Amino acid sequence: MKYIVLYLVLVVSLFLPFFVPAAEKAAMPMPLPELVLEVPENPRHKEYLGLTGKTGTDFSIRDIDADILVIELFSMYCPYCQKEAPAVNELFAKMREISKNGPVVKIIGLGVANSQFEVDHFRDTYEIAFPLFADEDKTMFRALAGEGTPTFIGCRLKDGERPVIVLRQNGGFASSATFLHELIDKGGPQ
Amino acid sequence: MRQKIFLAVIGIFLDLAVVVGNGLAANDTLHDSIYNPGHLKPVDSSLNVAVGEPAPDFSLPSVAGREVTLSQYRGKKKVVLSFVPAAWTPVCSDQWPGYNISRKYFEEHNAILLGITVDNIPTLHAWVRQMGSLWFDVLSDFWPHGRVADAYGVLRSDGTAERALFFIDAEGVIRDIVVSDINVRPPLEEVVAKLAAMP
Repeated sequence: MKYIVLYLVLVVSLFLPFFVPAAEKAAMPMPLPELVLEVPENPRHKEYLGLTGKTGTDFSIRDIDADILVIELFSMYCPYCQKEAPAVNELFAKMREISKNGPVVKIIGLGVANSQFEVDHFRDTYEIAFPLFADEDKTMFRALAGEGTPTFIGCRLKDGERPVIVLRQNGGFASSATFLHELIDKGGPQ
Repeated sequence: MRQKIFLAVIGIFLDLAVVVGNGLAANDTLHDSIYNPGHLKPVDSSLNVAVGEPAPDFSLPSVAGREVTLSQYRGKKKVVLSFVPAAWTPVCSDQWPGYNISRKYFEEHNAILLGITVDNIPTLHAWVRQMGSLWFDVLSDFWPHGRVADAYGVLRSDGTAERALFFIDAEGVIRDIVVSDINVRPPLEEVVAKLAAMP
């Protein structure tokens, strides 16, 4: 009997740290703050986001035509973002594929404390096909309670109610497939 | 028998704890290794050189293990000196990774980049490794402490350097100087514009 008790104590004490983050995740979803961006010039990006407004006019991030949206907080200067860029491109490709027959999953990037020139340079260097926006004064980074880069914030947009944040990944993800699976699991119809 | 099973279970869980612990430690290293000095006095030195003057020559050891002399590039390459205040601090730790993916702008203008701090080689070695593989030389102005930074007038009163860029043409003449607020990274487009403006 005493061995059974010792087993239980061991198991509980070793796995206790993992129960705490799980509890934090259970506290989600949180409301997605109102974020305003400018309609991009690139027609492919406009079409991807489902925008019809004139280039340079404002649009709300909530108007993006997607069931699930990932917001990547990155910086051109961040070596971890640079290292993660190919994996994020892979994630984007998987999103496009899965969106053909499943929930529509899209991604945008916000260049934290980056100028438009720096964002464009990051996009060209890593051949990034999804839309990137400059968040030069870090307004959106702060609104999203960003702590560092890269950070990936998963949002459920087509909820019938206020858009919500369902997932937050600080740092890179180990596998784009696993991340996408978790995203759809949390961001899909509840 | 039950005792053996008990010991085996302890062994498995201890192994798991070590593996998980190592993983967490690696993440901690990435995120927590940068020291934040808080907001600093924007500029704390006075330039000892001016645009149009010859750039003071120097020889400094590089992290790659060689001695780099400014005048070795005379008649061959334009040189951009990038002084940053100190290793393992917030803005400095991403300024050079940004330049690391911007090599084409330097090459387009037949220029090379030399990164300089007042840290010693072992510190710079660890710091640069954390950034990845840099294409440009990183030089240590550690001893005599900050002698080159002082020659250019960018040695601060606390022994660190300013966040400063010197644009030197192929004849060794200073064509532009940018001493930034130490708390702020100079935008890449400014560096590119000044590279393009050098004769």
